[in-house]
Amino acid sequence: MNAIFSFLFIVSALIMLFIDPAGFLSALVEGAGKSASLCIALLGTYAVWLGLMRVWEDSGVSAGVSRLLKPLSRKLFKTDDEQTLTAISMNLSANLLGLSGASTPYGIKAAQLLDKSEHAEYSSAMFFVLNATSIQLIPTSIIGVRTALKSAAPADIVLPTLLTTAFSTLLGVALTALFLSPRRAVQKRGNFLKKREAGSR
Amino acid sequence: MNYIFALIVPVIFLASFAYASFKKVKVYDSFCQGVKAAPPLILSIFPYIAAVMMLTKLFEVSGLQARFETLIAPVFNFLGVPEEISPLILMKPLSGGGSIAVLTDILEKYGVDSYIARCACVAYGASDTIFYIGAVYFAGLKRKKLTAALVISVFSYLCSILLCCLLCKVM
Repeated sequence: MNAIFSFLFIVSALIMLFIDPAGFLSALVEGAGKSASLCIALLGTYAVWLGLMRVWEDSGVSAGVSRLLKPLSRKLFKTDDEQTLTAISMNLSANLLGLSGASTPYGIKAAQLLDKSEHAEYSSAMFFVLNATSIQLIPTSIIGVRTALKSAAPADIVLPTLLTTAFSTLLGVALTALFLSPRRAVQKRGNFLKKREAGSR
Repeated sequence: MNYIFALIVPVIFLASFAYASFKKVKVYDSFCQGVKAAPPLILSIFPYIAAVMMLTKLFEVSGLQARFETLIAPVFNFLGVPEEISPLILMKPLSGGGSIAVLTDILEKYGVDSYIARCACVAYGASDTIFYIGAVYFAGLKRKKLTAALVISVFSYLCSILLCCLLCKVM
């Protein structure tokens, strides 16, 4: 990101020198101003959903969701550690709500715990893919932006988003399970050893 | 159909608050505690959104964006993806704040309810910031064999973009 940012910035600035040096500062200020109003809109969205998430936490809904997600995550991540599974579940619930900012602290914790687990390589890969392709039930940030821009139907994109994100997640999980599953890795190593033995003979 | 989707969010809130009251949770206190977490979160992403928005504005007025789009258009057209959302597709795996900045730009430029805008919204939601997650979640860990996972994630992301543009056409 750093390389891309400086490269694009320097090239754009160089071009501006020739075509419109006076417009340089006003472009920057205009961009910064727009980011401020965007953040205000996002602040509203986050306030609403983080408030709701806290109510869920205090009334035991989050714990219930974690419990529901646990059998699935146990199978997906091949780990039995309670602490790890809780961190994963909290991370996934925040992702489901489209609050990727709120899911980060749990995600970092889960990644650290997974690193120490039995099938660390596989579990970390699975966790990474699941987060990177991030399944979302309600794309709250997008609805927030669309509402701020006065869309006629801000929630119009919920269904296609749900289908798309479910597709990318399922595809990612399937590919990970197919290529990186520990059982398969063991098998591969076994085949390799057999081949080597056969070769040395 | 749209009415049913409009119902989802109010029903979630209603059920949650009713259940919390039933569980004798101090709903007002609890809700406010949650809201308290919003400003620090926004403050932590503001610098990134601001920096990228300044850059995109510069990128646009310098005429680089137009040149970039004509350059990349054949590839996207071939795949059935509108070239107008190409900056978003390239930005999304790198930065969440940056991509929401680019998304807002697209929505303002082409109209928030246009096909391109809807396509951009769905593409934005299709996946998360792949490289950013790789850097932040797995920073400082010993095992860093994430290459395969990275390839799988990017591949799934690109496939879902194709699906998204198809879905936005029919829905």
